[in-house]
This record gives sequence, C-alpha cells and structure tokens, in this order.
Amino acid sequence: MLRTAAVLLLGSILAAPAALAGNTPSPKDALVYIGWPNDGEVINTRTIKIWFGLRHMGVAPAGIDKPNTGHHHLLVDADLPPFDEPIPNDRNHLHFGGGQTEAVIELPPGTHTLQLLMGDKDHVPHNPPVYSKKITITVR
Amino acid sequence: MLRRLALIACATALGMTAAQAQNTPSPSGAKEYIIWPHDGQVIQGGKLWVRMGLSGMGVAPAGVDKPNTGHHHLLINADLPPLDEPIPNDKNHVHFGGGQTEARLTDLPPGKYTLQLILGDKDHFPFKPPVYSDKITITVAPY
Repeated sequence: MLRTAAVLLLGSILAAPAALAGNTPSPKDALVYIGWPNDGEVINTRTIKIWFGLRHMGVAPAGIDKPNTGHHHLLVDADLPPFDEPIPNDRNHLHFGGGQTEAVIELPPGTHTLQLLMGDKDHVPHNPPVYSKKITITVR
Repeated sequence: MLRRLALIACATALGMTAAQAQNTPSPSGAKEYIIWPHDGQVIQGGKLWVRMGLSGMGVAPAGVDKPNTGHHHLLINADLPPLDEPIPNDKNHVHFGGGQTEARLTDLPPGKYTLQLILGDKDHFPFKPPVYSDKITITVAPY
C-alpha cells in the first residue's frame, strides 16, 4: 500500500499517469477480447451471452495467486477505471471471480458499450493492464 | 497422493468404481463446448486457435481447489479417456493447467482430426457427472 502510494506520488510528480497500474505483472502478448458480440452488433433480444476471449494468459478465480492468470471484469456503459486500485464492483463493473469465461447479461433497449478488463487475485488490473477494445452494441 | 491410492485400493476392495470414491462433483447444467472451429470445418494450413467454451462453471488452474471450477483438456484424435482416473497427459490429451481458454495448434499435417474437450478437476480427474464437449471433426488442408 505504501509502495502504491509512493508510486502514485511519483507518478503525479512525473506527470506520467499511464504508468499507474497494479503490481501483478501481465505476460507479454496477453490479449483479452470480446469474442461475441461483435462491435456494432444489433441484438434483438435483451438477454445477451457475452463470450470472453483470452490469449497468452490463463483464467483463475479471484483470490488465487498464480502467475500469468487473472479473472475477467465486464465494463458495461463505463470507461476504464483507475488501474492502480481494485476494479469497482457494481452494475457497470461486473466481476467474474468464479473464473467464468462467458456471461449472460440483460440490457435495456438502446446503445451500450462493453469492454473487458482483467483483474488479479485482488481485482486490481495487471501491469501493464490487460483490457479489450471497447465495443458498442445496440439492443432493440 | 497416498490418500488417493488408499481410496482407490479401498474402492477396488469394495468392488466400487473409483468414480464413486473421488470425482469432484460438477454443478448441474455445466456444459463444455468448442466455440471454434466448427464441426466439419476445413482449415487452410496447419495452424489454428481452438477456442474452448464453458457454461455454468468457471476455469481455474490445475491444483486450485475451488468448487465449480476446472480446467480444459483437449483430446486430439482420441476417444474419451476412463472417467475414473486422471486424464492422460500426452500429445493426444493436451492439458491446459494454466487456466487457458484457447489452445494454439501448430504444425498439423494435412488430414482429418477429431477434437473434443473434457474438463478436469484440480487433480486432472474428470468431474462427476463428467463435463465434456461434443467430438468434432476438422480437416486441415494444405496451403
């Protein structure tokens, strides 16, 4: 925590916010992506199955301390949260701490954004953070 | 390990199947499936990512003891192994004990291949009831 605070302070001094991240290293080439739906997809049902894609990294439930693993967080209509603290846990930041690799969510009609962000055993993003492209879908 | 051996010995002595003694229970409705490739798909060249799907359960690396989690095993040109012992670990039974959800296959010579997934518990045993995918057939075509 102190170290995080020191890094934070240093980051502020150097004006280098991009360097802020958790302490768990992510493997080189780690890639998280939304396998389905596709960007721009128009969906005619309110219940949507989202498939999580992950390469060069493994899935582990929250609380499990194994190198090169993490668990998925689905950001719904939200921007990326700060990378140096636990990912919020609310209806816009869905946690999959059971190691789930897909999710069924319900969305009201309209335009929505979806983005995946990996978290470590303590729900803090990795360093460097592993997140997908943000996609936009329309629910009819 | 000794405990497991003892359990097996005990099960054998009692005329039970080992499955009754030790397989980790799977939640009802758990389903493993191959997201990609599709059954019957023709792949140009011998390289592909197999995308491994799991519904109603989570993924955890081998050795992790968490209820309702397991890790993927990809059977290539192999039938389902015995369900009451650890899944073999060889080129036809590929383990993803790191919690991987995609498998990179390379250098597959042209020909037909079968692919099937089976989920293993922390000790690589199939679950009870076992969680496995349909077996699909793909064809690798030369470039």
